[in-house]
Amino acid sequence: MKRNFRLTLYTLTLAALATGCGKKFLNIAPQGAVTEEEIRNNPNAAQDLVNGVYNIMWIGGFEPDINSFQFIIMTEIASDNADKGSTPDDYQAAKDIDNFTLDSRNGVVSNVWKGHYQAIARANQALDKIPLSPLDDAKKNALLGEVRFLRAHFYFNLVRFFGGVPKIDRVPNADEANSDQFQTRASVDTIYNMIIEDLTFAVNNLPLKGATQVGRATKGAAQGLLAKVYLYRKNWQGAFDMSQAVINSGLYDTLSNYANIWRVAGANSSESLFEVQTGVNAACNAAINIYSVCQGPRAGGKRGWTDLGFGFNNPSANLVAAYEVGDKRAAATIITVPAGGTVLWDGFRIPGRDSVENDRYNYKAYHSRTQEPYCGVPDRMPKNHRVLRYSDVLLIYAEAANELGNIAEAQNKLNMVRRRAGLGNFTGTQATLRTKIWDERRVELAMECDRFFDIVRQGRAGVIMRAAGKAFQDGKHELFPIPEDQRELSGNRLGQNNGYN
Amino acid sequence: MLTATQGAQGKLAGVQIINYGGPGSQPLVRIRGTGSMLAGAEPLYVVDGVFTSDIRNISTSDIVSMDVLKDAAASAIYGVRAANGVIIITTKKGRSGKMEVSYAGNIGFRQASNLVKMANRSQYTGFLTEVSPGTVIPSGNTNTDWFDEVLRNALQHSHNISVGGGSEKMTYYFNVGYLYDEGIVIGNKYDRFSIRSNNEFNLTKELKFGTQFSFMRANSDTIDNGAIFNNAYRAAPVVPGKVDGKYGNTSAFGNVGNPILNIDKVNNRAAETRLQGTAYLEYSPIKSLKLRSAFSVDQSFYTRRVYNYAYLNDAVTFIETGGNQRNDLSTLTGRKENVTNWLWDNTATYEELFGKHRLTLLGGYTAQKYSSDYVEGVRRGVPPTRDQWYLVTGDPNTSTNNGGGDKYARASVLGRVNYAFADRYLVSASIRRDASSRFPENNRVGWFPAAGLGWVLSEESFMKDKGAFDFLKLRASWGRIGNDNIASNSYIVTANTGVPYVFDNGLVLGSAISDIKNANLRWETTEEYDFGLEFSTLGRRLTGEINYYDKRTIDALVLVKLPGILGDPDNEYVTNAGSFTNKGWEFTAQWKDNISEDVSYTIGGNITFNKNKVTGLNAGQPLPRGGVGQQGSTTLTDNGEPIGSFYVYRTDGIFQTQEEIDNYKNKDGIVIQPNAQPGDLKYRDKDGDGSITSADKYFVGSYQPKMYYGINLGFNYQSWDFSADFYGNAGNKVYNGKKAFRYQVTDNIESDYADHRWRADRPSNSDPRLIEGNTPASDYFVESGSFFRLNNLTIGYTLPKATLERMRMSNLFLPHLAEFVYPETFQRLQSGVARQSARIRY
Repeated sequence: MKRNFRLTLYTLTLAALATGCGKKFLNIAPQGAVTEEEIRNNPNAAQDLVNGVYNIMWIGGFEPDINSFQFIIMTEIASDNADKGSTPDDYQAAKDIDNFTLDSRNGVVSNVWKGHYQAIARANQALDKIPLSPLDDAKKNALLGEVRFLRAHFYFNLVRFFGGVPKIDRVPNADEANSDQFQTRASVDTIYNMIIEDLTFAVNNLPLKGATQVGRATKGAAQGLLAKVYLYRKNWQGAFDMSQAVINSGLYDTLSNYANIWRVAGANSSESLFEVQTGVNAACNAAINIYSVCQGPRAGGKRGWTDLGFGFNNPSANLVAAYEVGDKRAAATIITVPAGGTVLWDGFRIPGRDSVENDRYNYKAYHSRTQEPYCGVPDRMPKNHRVLRYSDVLLIYAEAANELGNIAEAQNKLNMVRRRAGLGNFTGTQATLRTKIWDERRVELAMECDRFFDIVRQGRAGVIMRAAGKAFQDGKHELFPIPEDQRELSGNRLGQNNGYN
Repeated sequence: MLTATQGAQGKLAGVQIINYGGPGSQPLVRIRGTGSMLAGAEPLYVVDGVFTSDIRNISTSDIVSMDVLKDAAASAIYGVRAANGVIIITTKKGRSGKMEVSYAGNIGFRQASNLVKMANRSQYTGFLTEVSPGTVIPSGNTNTDWFDEVLRNALQHSHNISVGGGSEKMTYYFNVGYLYDEGIVIGNKYDRFSIRSNNEFNLTKELKFGTQFSFMRANSDTIDNGAIFNNAYRAAPVVPGKVDGKYGNTSAFGNVGNPILNIDKVNNRAAETRLQGTAYLEYSPIKSLKLRSAFSVDQSFYTRRVYNYAYLNDAVTFIETGGNQRNDLSTLTGRKENVTNWLWDNTATYEELFGKHRLTLLGGYTAQKYSSDYVEGVRRGVPPTRDQWYLVTGDPNTSTNNGGGDKYARASVLGRVNYAFADRYLVSASIRRDASSRFPENNRVGWFPAAGLGWVLSEESFMKDKGAFDFLKLRASWGRIGNDNIASNSYIVTANTGVPYVFDNGLVLGSAISDIKNANLRWETTEEYDFGLEFSTLGRRLTGEINYYDKRTIDALVLVKLPGILGDPDNEYVTNAGSFTNKGWEFTAQWKDNISEDVSYTIGGNITFNKNKVTGLNAGQPLPRGGVGQQGSTTLTDNGEPIGSFYVYRTDGIFQTQEEIDNYKNKDGIVIQPNAQPGDLKYRDKDGDGSITSADKYFVGSYQPKMYYGINLGFNYQSWDFSADFYGNAGNKVYNGKKAFRYQVTDNIESDYADHRWRADRPSNSDPRLIEGNTPASDYFVESGSFFRLNNLTIGYTLPKATLERMRMSNLFLPHLAEFVYPETFQRLQSGVARQSARIRY
C-alpha cells in the first residue's frame, strides 16, 4: 500500500508539474519567420524589409500584377500603339480592354489594382518598421526614401489608371481597416499630393546614382519621377526644375545605340534612371513573371518552329505609320515578320509569316535565349523592366520648357533625342513644338507602357483612340473601372468611375 | 472495403463522407453538417485512445469497431477538435487462449461514372464552324474521347494476415497488411505495407502495461488530377490523343495541353513512412480507483521526388509540331519532411457503487505537441535516366533550396462526474480547461462545460410490464467544445524571410511583412443541444435511434476576404468572424432476423436532415468567395443563409429575338440588356434600375445537402454472405465552373450543351448560343448536386470454422470516384491564357 501511495503521489506531482509548465509549454514563437522583436534588435532587418518591397515588382502574370502582362494590357494594348495580338480569341479580358468594351468585372483590371495595393502594403509595412531599427537617422532616412520612392511609383500608376483611389499611407490598425477612411476613394489631388510628398522626401534623402547599389532608387530617379508627376499636374516649373536637376547632375546620358537599351547589354546603362532588376537569374527565381514570354512571337498557321511566346501586345500598323522615314527606332522597337521570315538580332530565325500568328511583335520585350542569360523557363526570362530613362526626362524637360516659353531649350533637348534616332533637327513655334514633342514621346517611348497615360494627359485620347478604331468614349474611358469584386468587398463604399457599372 | 472511412459510408446517421482525390487520400468527413468554416471541420479520430487526424495507416481488417460520438456532452472528454464529432476506432487485440491466425483478402475494380459527356467530333465541329468560322479544323475523322484517354478501370486489392492470442499474463496481436490501390486516372497509384501490434501485460494484479505499435510504408505516384480533368474537359475531340508514342498537339490547335502528355512527362513519387507507438500503464491501487498514463508518439517521414522531363514542341514528341506545351529544361525537386506529434494522456477514474447509486469521477490531464520541418531542393538539367534522379546530377547554378517548419502545443485539464440511479436515471457533468499555443496569450485558455441526462424507460416498472420495448432510452444533453484548428501563426505578424531581389547584378535576400493578422484571435466554440431516443423492440430484431440536434458555432474562425487595398497577398485572413447553426434530425433503423439456422438477413437505413444557417457575422460584412475566371464571386456567406450559398444572377431563359431584347425594359423604359444578342441569357433586374449589376444577385442554393441517407442490406446463407450498401444526398447544388469558364473558343463543350444551345435555326430557351470568358455567374451554371449511388457490393465466402484461415473475395464497385468535389484547381500552360478554376460536378 505504501508503494502504491508513492506511485500515486508521483503521478499526481508529475501532472501538476506539467500544468505548471503549461504557460511556457504553450509559448511557441513562429517558426522560420521574423517577428517585430527581431526587427528592433537586428540592424539588417530594416534593410531586409526595404529589399522585400523591391521584390514585389516581380509579381504578375494571371495573378495580381504590377509591371507584367496585365499592366502591359492596360497601357500599351489599351493604347493605339499595340493590338492585343495572339490568336483572335485568346484572352477575352485583354480583348475587351483593347476594344474598350470592358466592364467592371474585367479580371485584368482587378489584378492590376490588387498588385499595386499589395506593393503599397509592403511599402507601408517597411515604413512602419524602419523607425524601430537601431540604425542612425541618416541611414534610416535613406531607407525611408527608397520605400517612399517606390510607393509614389505605385500610386502614380494607380491614380492614372483609376483617378482617386483609397489613400493607404500607413499600416491600418485591425479595427480601422474597415473604416470609411480606408474603404472610400480619396480625391485625385489628395493622391497626387501624397505622391509629391513622397518623392520630395526621396529627392532629399536618397544618394546619387553610383553612390549606392545598382538597382536601388536614387536621387536622380526620384527627381525624374517627380518631374513626370509635375508634368501630369501641368506644373511646368516643377517639371522643368526637376528634369533640369537630373540633366545637370551629369550622371546620365543617352545610349548611342537605341536598340541596346532593352538588351541585357544595355541594362542599368547611363540612360537608366530606374528599372526593375532581374540579374542573371540562373535559379529561375529572379524575374518578372511572364513579362517577356507573354509578348514573344507565337507560332501559327503552318507552325513548324519552336515559338517564343504567347504573341500578345503587337505593335500596331498605326504605330508603324507614326515613325518618320529613316527613324532607327522603328526597327529597334518592332519585330516585323515578312512573308519570307526574319532573323532576330541573336540569330534566331522565324521561318515566315505563315508560320506565326501575327504580323509584328514587340522587340523591346524580346529576350534572347541563346545570347542572354536563360534558365530554361520561358516564364522567367530575366528582362529588366525600364521604368524611367533619360530620354523620357529630356522630353519632359523639353515639354516643360516649351510651355514656359523657353522654345530654344525645348528644341535643344527634343533634337538630342531625334539625333540619336538618326533624324534631323526640328524647329517650330510653341504650338507645333508641343505636338512634335508629344509625337516624339510616342515613338521614343513606344511599347514602354507610357502611351495610354500620355494621350489621356494631353487630352487627345478620344480623338486618337477613335481614329485607331477603338470604341473610346470621352469622359469614360480615360479611366478604368473600379473592379467590381473590390467594390463588393468595400460594401459598395468604393464609388464607380463615370460610365461604368 | 478497402478503407476504414469507406466502410462507414452511408451507414451512420449524421455522418457524411465525401470522397475526393485519388487513392491514398483521406475522404472528407462531416458530422452533423459543416460545423466549422475554417477551423478544420474534420472530426477527431481516436484510435485505441490515441488522438489522430489521419487514419490511413489502419487496415480495415484491424478494426473491431467504429463508433461515432456526435453530441457535445459525449465528445467533451476528448476536448479540442472534438467539436466536429469524434470517431472512435478500436483495433483488434489478442485474447487469452489459443493462438488465432487469419487471412483477409479483397480484390476489386473501380471506374468513373456519371462523367460529363463531352461533344464528339461532329457536335464540336458544328459548334466551332458556327461561332468561329475562321478556325481551321484538322481534317480526317479523329474523334477523341479525352476522358476515355485518361481514365481506366482501376484495380485494387488488399491482403492481411493477423496473429492473435495470449495467456493470463499477456495478450498479443500482430497484423501485416498490404494494399494496392490504383486511381482511375492513368498513372495514379498508391500502395501501402503496414504492420500493427497491440500487446498487453499484466505485471501485477494492480498494474497493467500495454503497447500499441504501427508501422506504415506507403508509396504513391501522384497525378495532378485537377489539371488532367480540366485538360480532358477542354481538349478538342478533333485532335488525336497518343498515336505510336507521339502525342496529339492540342496546344497547337487550342491552348490546352494534351493531358496524356501532362501525365507522362511528370514523375511525381512520394513515400511516406509512419511510425506510431503508444505505451501505457494502468494502475489500480484500490478496486474503485484506476490511474492511467499513456504516452504516444506519431512520427512521419515524407519524401517526395518530382521529375519534370524536358521535351520540346517538336516532331520527336508530337504528331504535329508547334504549340506551347513544352518544357525546355528538366527539373528535379526533392523534398523531405518530418512530422512529430506526441501526446501524453493521464486520467484518474474513481468508480463506486453505493447500493443502487453508481458514482464515477474522472480527472485528467493531456498535453500534446506537434512539430514539423521540411527541406526542399530544386535543380535543373537533370538527365532523364531514373538512376540519375538526384540533385547532384543537375546544374549547380540553377539550384535553389527551401525549408521551414511548424510547431504548436495544447494542454488540457478535465473533470467529469457521472451518476446513475438503478441504471435508470443517468446524469453527467463535465468541465474542461483547454489551452492552445495557436491563440494569443490573453485568449489562450478556454473553459468548456457539458452536461447530460438519460432515462432508461424500459427499466421502469410501467414499461417492463408492457413488454413492448426491449430497450427504450431518452436522453438530452448540452455542451460546449472549443476548436483551435487553424494555422499556428495566425495571430502573430511576422516577416517572411528569404525574399529575393537583385542589386549590383547579384541576388540579395530581403524580407516582407505582407499577411494581415488578427492579434486577438480566440477559441471557436461549438455549443450543442441534443435530444435522443434509442429503442430496441420485437425481440431485439428492430433497433433504432431518433435524434434532434441544435448545434451553434460561435466566434467561428473564418477566412475572411479582404479588400485588395489592404494588400494581403491572398486577400484573406483568419478571424472570429461569425456564428452559424446546424440543426437537424437523424433517424436510424436496423432490422435483423434469422429465417432459419442457415439463413439470416439485415436491412438498415438512416437519414439525416440538416439545416445550416449563418446567424451572425460579428458586425462584419457578408463574405463573397469562389470566383471562376472572370465571373467574380459565386458564393456569399450571409445572415440567414447556409454557409457558402451560391449568390448569382437569376436567368429568365434566352432572348429569342432582337425585338425581345429591345422590349426588355424596366419601369422607366430603360433597356436592361442593350448589348445582348438573340440567343443570350436574359438576367432578372432585381432592383429595377435598368441595368444588371451586383445588386441583382440572388441566393440560389448551397453546396450543403439538406438531406443525406444510406441503405444497407445483408444476407447470409451458410458460409456465404452478401451485402450491398447505398448512399445519397439531396437538396445540394453545385456550380459547374468548368462550363462557366471558357478561355478559348476551341475549348470543347458538353455534349448536352452542343445539342441544346440556341441557334437561329434551332431556338432554345434553356442554353445560350455561346458561353464566353466574360459570361457572368448566374443560376444557369448552378446544377443539382443530388445523387443516389451504390457504394459497395460484396460477396463473401467463409471457410469452415475448423480451418484457421479465412478467405474472402469480394467484388467491389466504387462508382463514385469521378464525381468528387475537386478543390479549386489551377493549371497554366507556358503559353496562352489559361488560368482555370474549375469544379467537377458531383
